[in-house]
Order: sequence, then structure tokens, then C-alpha cells
Amino acid sequence: MDTVKQSHSSPTDELDDSQKPHAPKSTSAWTWLNFLGNVSQSEVDVLLLSTAFKFLLFPAYRSTDFEVHRNWLAITHSLPISRWYYDTTSEWTLDYPPFFAYFESLMSIPASFIDPKIVDLQNLQYDAWTVIAYQRLTVIISELVLGAALLRFIRVSVDPSRQRILSASLFLHPGLLMIDHIHFQYNGFMFGILLWSILMACEGRKLASGILFAVLLNFKHIYMYLAPAYFIYLLRSYCMSPAGAIIPTRFISLANSVLLVFLASLGPFVLMGQLLQLLSRLFPFTRGLNHAYWAPNAWALVTAADRVLLQLVKHLDVGLVVNESGIASTSRGLVGDTVFAVIPNIKPIHTFIITIIFQMVYLIKLWSAPTYKSFVAALTLCGYASYMFGWHVHEKAILLVLVPLTLLASENYAYYKTFVIASVAGIFSLFPLIFTPAETLLKIVYSVIWGGMILYPLHKQLYEFPSSLPWVLLESFENAYLYGFAFLQAFVTLFPLMTGGNPDTEFLPLMATSVYCAVGLIWSFIRLSTLYIIEQY
Amino acid sequence: MDEASDVMPSELPVERRQRHTRDRTASLNSLSHFKSASSKHIRPRSTLRNRGSNASMKSVGSDTDHSEIIAPIPRRHLLQTSQSLHWLRVDTSSGDEWLNRGVSPVSASSVGSVFPNNRMANRLSFTALMEHERTAVGPSSTADARILEDDQGTIGAGRRFVRWMHRNNMKHWVVPSAIAASTLVKWCIGLGTYSGHNTPPIFGDYEAQRHWMELTVHLPVGEWYTYDLQYWGLDYPPLTAYVSWLCGRIGSLIEPSWFTLQASRGLETGGSKLFMRATVVILDLLLYIPALYTFVCAWQGTRSSRKRHAALLTLLFHPALLLIDFGHFQYNSVMLGLTLLAINAFAAGHDLFGAIFFVLSLGFKQMALYYAPAVGSYLIGKCIYLGPVHGTRLFLRLALTTTLAFVIMFAPFLPPFSPLSTIAAPIIRIFPFGRGLFEDKVANFWCFTNVLVKWKQIFASREGILIKASTGLTALGFLPAVAALIFGGYKTRLQKDAQNHSVDVSPSMAPSSPTPILPLLPYALLTCSMSFFLFSFQVHEKTILIPLLPLTLLLSGAAPTDDVFLWGALGNNVGVFSMWPLLKKDGLGLQYLAMLILWNRLTGYNPFKVRYRNFVGLLSSVVHTVIIILHLLELVVTPPARYPDLFPVLNVLISTPIFGLIWLWSIKRLVEVSWAISGLPGKRGKEGPSLAASAISTTSSSATFGHSPMRGEMGVRATSLGYASGRGRGQTDARRRALVASAGGDREH
Repeated sequence: MDTVKQSHSSPTDELDDSQKPHAPKSTSAWTWLNFLGNVSQSEVDVLLLSTAFKFLLFPAYRSTDFEVHRNWLAITHSLPISRWYYDTTSEWTLDYPPFFAYFESLMSIPASFIDPKIVDLQNLQYDAWTVIAYQRLTVIISELVLGAALLRFIRVSVDPSRQRILSASLFLHPGLLMIDHIHFQYNGFMFGILLWSILMACEGRKLASGILFAVLLNFKHIYMYLAPAYFIYLLRSYCMSPAGAIIPTRFISLANSVLLVFLASLGPFVLMGQLLQLLSRLFPFTRGLNHAYWAPNAWALVTAADRVLLQLVKHLDVGLVVNESGIASTSRGLVGDTVFAVIPNIKPIHTFIITIIFQMVYLIKLWSAPTYKSFVAALTLCGYASYMFGWHVHEKAILLVLVPLTLLASENYAYYKTFVIASVAGIFSLFPLIFTPAETLLKIVYSVIWGGMILYPLHKQLYEFPSSLPWVLLESFENAYLYGFAFLQAFVTLFPLMTGGNPDTEFLPLMATSVYCAVGLIWSFIRLSTLYIIEQY
Repeated sequence: MDEASDVMPSELPVERRQRHTRDRTASLNSLSHFKSASSKHIRPRSTLRNRGSNASMKSVGSDTDHSEIIAPIPRRHLLQTSQSLHWLRVDTSSGDEWLNRGVSPVSASSVGSVFPNNRMANRLSFTALMEHERTAVGPSSTADARILEDDQGTIGAGRRFVRWMHRNNMKHWVVPSAIAASTLVKWCIGLGTYSGHNTPPIFGDYEAQRHWMELTVHLPVGEWYTYDLQYWGLDYPPLTAYVSWLCGRIGSLIEPSWFTLQASRGLETGGSKLFMRATVVILDLLLYIPALYTFVCAWQGTRSSRKRHAALLTLLFHPALLLIDFGHFQYNSVMLGLTLLAINAFAAGHDLFGAIFFVLSLGFKQMALYYAPAVGSYLIGKCIYLGPVHGTRLFLRLALTTTLAFVIMFAPFLPPFSPLSTIAAPIIRIFPFGRGLFEDKVANFWCFTNVLVKWKQIFASREGILIKASTGLTALGFLPAVAALIFGGYKTRLQKDAQNHSVDVSPSMAPSSPTPILPLLPYALLTCSMSFFLFSFQVHEKTILIPLLPLTLLLSGAAPTDDVFLWGALGNNVGVFSMWPLLKKDGLGLQYLAMLILWNRLTGYNPFKVRYRNFVGLLSSVVHTVIIILHLLELVVTPPARYPDLFPVLNVLISTPIFGLIWLWSIKRLVEVSWAISGLPGKRGKEGPSLAASAISTTSSSATFGHSPMRGEMGVRATSLGYASGRGRGQTDARRRALVASAGGDREH
């Protein structure tokens, strides 16, 4: 067997089927997909096997987001466009930008043929098999946009076999699986558009990139987190010459295209004079700093520190002024303001200023080095900064970081390690989203398999031995942190069993998850920022 | 062969590819000087080609082409010197007898005796037989076809995955990750609904299993088989009851309300569903998956690890079993796993363990009886093979072990623990002859012919005749398997020239040595179980799982262009299709679709590819098309009121002929394989087999010789692989048998 191993590592064996030219006749069935290049069998495998697996998830747990989207199907199908952003039949009002509403409207047409009850506005909480199958199927089909973008990334990559692993990692991402195929949302589709846009930037078609991003913004406004990087990048590298002079024609064409996109989206509502109503739906400023489950960002650590300080103050009687309403404010329960007991309270404006300051640093760097790679890094960091310091960030927003970060993972070992820490912590931080027992096993096993399949080969290809003692120590700390997740999962699983569901300590596993993930995500944030700032582009 | 296309990127120029193959071959054989000798690739091919038959060359010598033997051969012989000397030492005293030794099973044991204490020595490769058959199939599967295999997707996702894992140094993670992935898939199937979900008052199989846990936990053993028979009375053998009791106890510890007597009837809470699903998955992990793993090790030990891993993947995602056990809800994997363990034990030569496992399998579910004729006649065949003295000894041991195992299993129902009359209840419950010929629409002979001949009306008052007829037909159906095994044992029986054998043969007399009739066993199991499925009484559509197990085992050992593979894939797909009405009723339509996509992609079987080359290829294209059309029709057409069962009947009409053909095919294969093992009837003289073998091996080598150079290279590889992994495992006679079989294949095609 040893000899077999040797021959495995011989150079001829390393030739992947990706690296050889494909026989044209073998792919004749796929000629209509020519813009993707020739689709190899292994890529079809990933698509078919993952689709089959996603079929099996149809009866899985689904969150209220499922009913939200069903309701939107009903709203967009049965109401005139002027009523879309006013309807309050269900508590799940339409709060995505108009393109998404159009998208729902489009999807509601087949739905009405399949089962008219799906698009019945009054038919709340409808959960017949038809609606489940139909909506789940639309997620799978719309996700093909993501698949196509990822395939295209393989075709333009300098190292297709490595990019193939990364592309597969995104297509099979546990985060997307949990959020889209269990919890229920259309993130795969949206990230598909984002990746198409990044791909256009990669291929130098920057106008298309800008237009696609504008389209994406009108599908889901959370992508505004990334907008500063787009703005600076397109302004500097597309609208200006390398010397720094503005090229008017390009500027005007970009501005006009983006305006046109927004006009197509918001135009009807502007004409009807509903813009303010629409915006009030899109940006509800009535929520608190943290979600019920603290998204593992900087504020999670601050809140946790406040809780610890409160206990200290209570027991030591230091004489600090304690905010009484803060004691009552727990992390559990309804969406509302998180009031700190010891630490001064945070206002939305503070989070906004901190985010902007961090983003400014990256944007200055991007301005001075407007290359594609710098752009992707800045894009990731803009998203990351918003996630870290934003107001009322949802844990699902971590995908905004993980997806573009994946594109950087194969740069070198430093980036790879950043990617690993962020991915593991980020995916783990999504676990509380899926809390039903049957799906708990599913999410853990799936994530572990994904981690093994993706991280191991990349690690093997990219590993660099740390050069000095501090780096060795750092490396071992990071590894210890990563192994710690096994213990964290054991704690989260066993703690409720040991305490027997005592409501006083119920929050502890969630808090532990949040804080532990926050440590990793913040560390990964620091790593990535440092890497970006010091790197010469 | 397939490894050849495995290891190298198929777009490499042919010249490079050949060199590559050769390097690998050489390294496998650790023949360092061999590379230099292989500057012209024709030579090593021919030499290696003949290496497989060198024993016969040695014995008969002049029959083979000596001009082709060049330098590398002696080295190989050197490796075998110890064996040869060993033979010679014995042979000096045995005169003529040593000529036979090459072929007779004795040689296997004598080789084994060179490597004492080597457990691997007991592994017998029946896949080596298939491998060789494939090289000799003829021009239909030429090298060019195989080069394109990857691009045309005939290799299958499983193979590609295994290859990728091996390339990325994750070889050791293939098995754990495959098991984890299959468990994940099983768990996800379990997210769906189950048999009898939300259908009071009687519910379905899920409630039956849950009810048994409830009653075994709360009632004394004596009442298990008599308690409220109208509501899912226990009708499986005692092991099921014991397992139910165990699950019930554990479940009651977690949540007592799941299994309270009477009150928990029809309980469908999320927690209890989760627990029930978990018991199936855990029992599957404890029994069936280890059984599959040991199967791949024990039966495919001579294959490359890539192929074994791919075979394991094929078996792990077996769609019919997954859908029934984890979707519909049953514990078939326990029964099949125990049977599989029994088969593995037979392959490893531990017949007594095998017998115990099989009794346990019978004790878990009486459906294992479908295998019983094959297993029984295999053991009888083995006893005959061992000869009067040792055979009788083994027979007595087996009889004693089996009886003891049964007695222990039924002990709670037997005198010291309860009155003798108690035993009647389980026996009556287990064998329900009072229920009629068939119940639902099931794809067997009776239901199939019922379309024309209304059996139940004709024999309304004379059920006895029908029972006799079905028993008779079933027996007739499995007779070939029984005959092949027993006759095979007789043909290959050890020579009883006592004076020469007393010293040398003794190791082979230990019941732990492999028998030559082992390769017959999977086919015999298939023939038997299919015959039961087709002809016996009270068959349920789920029972197709039992014939599908040996069929899938055979498939996992075959290459994607093989007839065995095509039959196996067709059988599996049609098997799943035949359960469609059941799965549809359970609300598992989506899982049905998903599992079929997943498994077919994994094995690399494209159901809609038109294969004109052979009968089974053409048949499967037609059948799959018809199935798709039927499914589409079912979507749009509502059956007329006169024929509410239109679609189930059409299902039966499509499935039954396929099952019948598989049954016939397995009989044909039985004949072929037993022919390969023991030669034609009446030709066995003193030196008959060795002559036959040498003649055949020459045929086969010249047959392969005539094809393109690539074929020869592949032959080299197969032989060398067989040698490399067989070295020290006593594979000599397995290899020879394989060669004989390949010749058989030649004639047949």
C-alpha cells in the first residue's frame, strides 16, 4: 500500500480532471450552458447529490420566515402594486425592496396554478404539502444562480482545482443549507447575484458589476453593508484614470445605469408617492442593539461584560451606579432595547460612527490600491465591520462576511487561517437558529462533514509552518480555540439536560455560544484587517 | 483494469498511460528490475498474463506457450519458492498426486499452511472471478470505451469521490465520512412521514413497532404473543420482541408516557417519533453498517481500496432499504445485517459463527427464511466438500449450535420458564397461513397472473391447494441454488487418498478454511430469495428488500460495464419502483425521487442511456422509460372508477417480469459459476481439473491476447493486483478459479 501512496503523490496523479481539456463531445448535452465552459462530471455530481439531499430536507423544520414568504406570495399575487407596502393582513408585512417583491410576484404565478390556496391572502399559516414543496423548490431552483456564478469562478480561476473546492464549499455551505433549506430564505439566490457582480469585477467588466450590485441592493437592502467598498472601487478604478482624473463618460454611464436600476425598482412607488412608506418598512428603527440571541459581534462581548460586571457589582458592593432597568433587561424574550446595567448605553449613532470609522480605514487603502483582490478584501471587511459594530445585527448576516471571504481563502496560509476561524465560528454561531432536536443532529453532522471535506484539502495545500515562536504559540492558541467548539457543543447539548430546563439558566448555553463565537469572529476580524492593511497590492 | 483508469488522468497520451500502468504494476509487485524489462510493453504483458496460470504451466508445462516466458517470471517464482518446495517435499511421496494439487482446493490450504496464523488467508475473492470475467467479456468493453468512462459519467459519483479523497490524502476518512453521510441521509429521510402517520384507529407499521415496545415492557413474556391480537399483535420472532423490550425500556427511562400500556396507542408526539427514528438509526449503525464494512473486507479483500470504498458507498446508500427502514419505518436492516454477518462469517471460514448469526437473523424476522435454503445447502455443501470424517464432524457441530441457538432464543417460552404450551403462540403468530395467498398488490407471480386467472375465486374453498402449489413452485424455484451448492461441494470435495493427505491436508480440515463453493453463495441467496418472493404465500411488497440484498452485494463487486452491474442496478431501481404505491401512501414520494437520483448518480448508472450491446442494457432502457411514462401518467390521469387500482396493477405488470428475469438470470449465473468452479459434470478424473484448467487458462490468455494492447495491460494489472493483495492470503486457487471462470465467460459470450 505504501507504494500505492507514493504513486499518488507523483506529479502525474495530481493532474485533476479539471486541469485537462475536456473532450467536446462528452459535454454536448450541456452546450446550452456554454457560458459556463464545459461542465465536468464532478460538478454535476455536486449539483445532483446536493439537490437530492435538499429534497430530503423538505419536511424539515421551517421558521416563521416560511410563512413570511408565503404571505408575500399572497400579497404580490392578490393585491395591486399600490397596496403591497401597506397591507397588514398578516403581521409579516413586506419589508424587502421592490425587486424582491417583483420576484415574489413572478413566483406567485405558478403557485396559483399549483394550489390557489397558496396565494390566498387570508389563508394564514397555510402549511399543506403543496406550499411546502413549491416554496422549497423555488429556493433550490433560484439557487442555481449561485451555482452558475461559482462554476464561472472555476473557469476564470488560475488554479481551477483549488477554486473548485472553494466553489463547492460555497454551494454546499452549511450556513446556506441551514438558513435557506431548513430555516427558509433565499440567500443562495442573492449571494448568486453578489458573486456574479464580483465575478464581473474580476473579469474587468466593472459597469456590469456595478449594475448587478445595484440590482442586488434592490433585492435585499442588507447588502448596503458592502456598498461603500463598491462605491469606492468603481469610482476609483472605473470612473477615474490611474492618474486620478475623472473619466466623465464612464462616470455618467455608471451613474445612469445605477439610477435606471433604482428607477425600475422604486420608480412605481415614487410615482404613487409611497416612497416614505416603503422606506419605513425597509428600515424599522425600533429595534434594540442586540437580537434576542446576541449575534456574536463586538456588542455581544460588551453585553456579556456588562452582565459579568453587574454580578460583580451586586456581590462586591463597589458603590457604582447601577441602571435599574438594566437589571430587568435580559437577553431573553422580546425584541427590544438592550439596556446596560453598568456600562453606559449604546445609541444607534454610536454604532454607526464606529462602523464608518473602521470602514474608512479600509476604503482609504482601497482607494490607494484599487485592484480586484484589494476590492474583495475591502468588500469583506466592510461587511465584517458592519457585522461587528452594527445596530441590531442578525446572526444570519455573518454570511455577508463568509461568502466573499471564501474567495480570499486560497490566497495564502494567513488568509486561509482567517477563513477557517471565521467559518467555524460563523457557522457555529448559526446553530441556535435551528433548535429542533431532529435538525440539531443534522446541522452538526453536515457541518462536520463539510468542514472535513473542504478544510482538510485546502489546509494540505496551503499550510506554512510558522516562522518563529510567537507564531507557533499563536497557531496553537488558534487550534485550541477551534477544538474548543467540540466542548462548547457538548456543553450546549448537555447543559439543558443537566439542569432540567431551569428557566433561570436557560440563557446560559446561548450566551456561551455567542461569547465564544464572538471571540473567534473578532480575532478573525483583527487578522483580516491587519492582513489587508499591511499587504502591498 | 478500472484502477488503471483510476490512477491516471484519462487524457494522457496512450504511451504515457501505458508506462504509468506498468510502473504501478511493478511497484505493486515490488519487482524493481521489472521496469527495465518492460521497455517493450508487449512482453511483460504476455508474461504476466501467464503468471496467473503458472501453476498449471508448472503442472502440465508443455501446453502453454513457453516462448513467451521471459526474464521477469523467475523472480516471481522465487517468491513462491517456499510454496513450491513445500509442495515438492510432499509431492515426492505422493507420486502422481501433485499434478492435481495446483487446482484442487488442497493447494489453497497448503499455501495457507505456509503462512500460518494468517487470518487473511481465509479470504476468498469471488470478485476476482468477476474481474477476470470482465477482461474476457470480449470486444464490447474495449479499452477505448473505458477511457471515455469518466467523461461519459459511467464511473459514478461514488468512484469520483473516492478518487478525490484518495488524491487528497484523505484515504482514511473515506469510510468514516461515507458512514456519516449515509447516516445523515437516513436521518433526513426520517424527517418525513412514516407508515400509518396520522391515520387512526389502526395506524401502520410505525405504530406496530411502537406498540410492541409498549407491550413487551409492560407484560410478562408469556403474554407477549397473545395480548390483544387485533391491535398489532406481536407476529415477529422473539429477537424482535427482545429488541423491542430493550428499546421500550430505554424509551421509558427518557419519557414514560411514550410507552404506557393502552394510553400510548397511536401516540405521535415529536419526541416519541424522534426516539423511534433514533432506534432504527442506532441499530443500523450497530449491526448493518459493520456488516457491510466486513462484507467489503471479507469478500472484496483482493480489490483495490478505492474499489472497496466505492463498493461500500454503493451499499451504504441502498435506496430500497433506506426508504423502507428510515422512511416507512421498519427494522429490516437488523435482519439483513445479521444475515450479512452470517455470510461474512462463512467467507472467513467461521461456519459456526455464521450459523449463529443466521439463527439470530431468523429470530429477528422470519423473512430470513427466504435465505434459509441457500444457507442450509451451502453448509451441507461444505460438509460434503470436507469429506466424510471432517464433514460429518462439522455437520454435527452445526446441528448442535443451531439447535442450541434456537433453544436459547425461545428459552423464555420453553418448559423451565413456562409451560410447553406457551411455545405454540409465537409459532402460530410467526407463520400466518390463514391469511390468504396475497394481500395488497405485490409484484409476484400470483398477483401478476391474478390479472388473468382469479386464483382466489377459483380456489375459494380449497385454499390448501393453493398453499401446496405455492410451496411447490417456491421449492422448484430455489432448487437450482440448492443443487448447485450441494453438487458444487460434491464436485470439489477433498480427495480421500488418506495415506498422502494425513499430514498435509489437516489444516484444511479445520472449519476455518474457505470453500470453493463460496462464490456460489450470493447467487444462491439471490435465486432462493427471489423464488420465495415470486412464488411463496403471503408476500408483501417490502419483502423485495430480501432479494435485493444479495443482488446489491453482487452489484457492488462489479464494474459499471458489467452484466452483473446492469442487472443489479435495474433490479434495484425496479425494486424501489415496485414499492412506489406503498411509499406514495406513506407520503414518501419526494424521498423516493431523491434516493433514486442519489443512488443512481453515486453508482454511475444512467437509467436512460440506450445500451444496444446486450439484452439487459436494452431491457433496462425500455423499462426505465416505461416507468417514467407511468409516473407522468399518474400525475395527470385519474384512474377510471371501474379500475381504482389501475396504477398499482400496472406497477405489478412491469415489475414482476423484471423480477422473474432476475431470478432466471441468477440461475444462469449459478450454472456458469458452478461450471467455473467444478468443471463440467463427469470430466473430473484424477488429473482432470488441472488439465481442464490449463487448457482453459491458455484459451483465456490467448483470448485476451488478441485484443488491443490496452486490454493486455489491464489484464496485467488485474493479475498483478490479484497477486499483490492475494499474496500471503492463500489466493492461488481463487485466482485459478477466476481464470477458469473467465474462460467460461468466453465461451458463453
